[in-house]
Amino acid sequence: MEMTDVINKDISVERTGVELRKLHFNNDLCAACGLCEKVCPVTAIEVNPTGAMVRTEQESSNIDIDSSECALCGMCSCICPYNALNFDIDGESIKESDLYPRLIKSSEIDEETCIYCKNCELACPPKAITIARELPVRSKLVTGEIEIDKDTCVNCGICEEMCPADAITLAYKNPTSIDPTISSGIDVNKDSCVYCLVCKKACPVDAIKAVCRTCSYGDYDLNSEDFGTKGKTFINQETCVDCGWCEDICPVDAIKVEKPFEGTLEISGETCQGCETCIMACPCNVLSFPQPEKSGGKVEKIHKDEKYCIYCGACEKACPVNAIDVVRTKINCTPIKSKAWQKAFDNVLN
Amino acid sequence: MSIGLVTYPELCHGCGNCVVSCPVNSLNSPEVAGGKGPRYDDDMIMVVEDGVVTLKQTDLCGKCGTCVDACPVFALKLENLEDS
Repeated sequence: MEMTDVINKDISVERTGVELRKLHFNNDLCAACGLCEKVCPVTAIEVNPTGAMVRTEQESSNIDIDSSECALCGMCSCICPYNALNFDIDGESIKESDLYPRLIKSSEIDEETCIYCKNCELACPPKAITIARELPVRSKLVTGEIEIDKDTCVNCGICEEMCPADAITLAYKNPTSIDPTISSGIDVNKDSCVYCLVCKKACPVDAIKAVCRTCSYGDYDLNSEDFGTKGKTFINQETCVDCGWCEDICPVDAIKVEKPFEGTLEISGETCQGCETCIMACPCNVLSFPQPEKSGGKVEKIHKDEKYCIYCGACEKACPVNAIDVVRTKINCTPIKSKAWQKAFDNVLN
Repeated sequence: MSIGLVTYPELCHGCGNCVVSCPVNSLNSPEVAGGKGPRYDDDMIMVVEDGVVTLKQTDLCGKCGTCVDACPVFALKLENLEDS
């Protein structure tokens, strides 16, 4: 028996028989790139216009699956670089099975090398990376001594105002005839103080005695274990698009990315009218509008950097004037064991 | 499913933003690329006629949604044509 279910914009097609075969489409992960449509051997998949889907509000899903045509072969799930299509046989994803080809794509952070700078987290186009970090305790990184002579202090508050670490507090109060002072005390929070000595230099009555041990003796009395930032890294493998932004931006080469396709991306600057649809369609942030240095200056219409591109073809499909040409020359995947699958996979190569 | 341009002439102010923002119009007509109205409509997707947006060669439409974004009064939409 064959069944189709559409919940929100997700689509499920399943067939019961000797085995339970189930195709599930997750609309949130789909970039409407059109690879599933190209690979489908029975033209059961129609991908809706990429521009319309990414730029305007649509009630429909990014793709339509004609369940009367769908052969439940699973090819679309194996070619989708965005994990939007999944195919299970008897509850097990065919991406786990050696019988079916699987795209070789991955993004991994080496925790040993990572310094938790968060550059990757901020650059990641689908926001798939989370870096949780624990900073060192500041008071352990600087040591010194500070003392305010309460008898000399005139409660002027200059040190409080100048302290860059907000470590000094004056307890202001209203003066009364019985206690004609404006403050009941001054306090230095030694956990916040960085012994920069700004207060000492600024004090008009020389009431502050302070020394910075880190400056006078160097680093020797500090425990190097207290310096490091500790942390944990996490890549959401479902939303990750393996674009390589993280690998490129990482200052310590802690990230390795494998991309599913190889190819080229060409944009005709003459044909491009600068409508921005491709920029909106690209899940990998490959494209951007250059800004001229002076207003009115001439720059290239659209800038691309192929090191972030996975050659999915979403931009090409989105372009209303066919100014973009994406050529895929190679699919990086585990061995294809069937001729029919080989033929279908060849359909996405140019 | 077939998604395509649908106009709501009763909402249109006739500003022509859609005509000049359309990348296909702009590629096909030097006047539109220069920010003006087109001289001919044989290869225009939409033009303003009698003050109202009018669809012309919709088969040229790449369904990119630029005109929908540019319209200040929601007089153009990309919709499922089978519904309307």
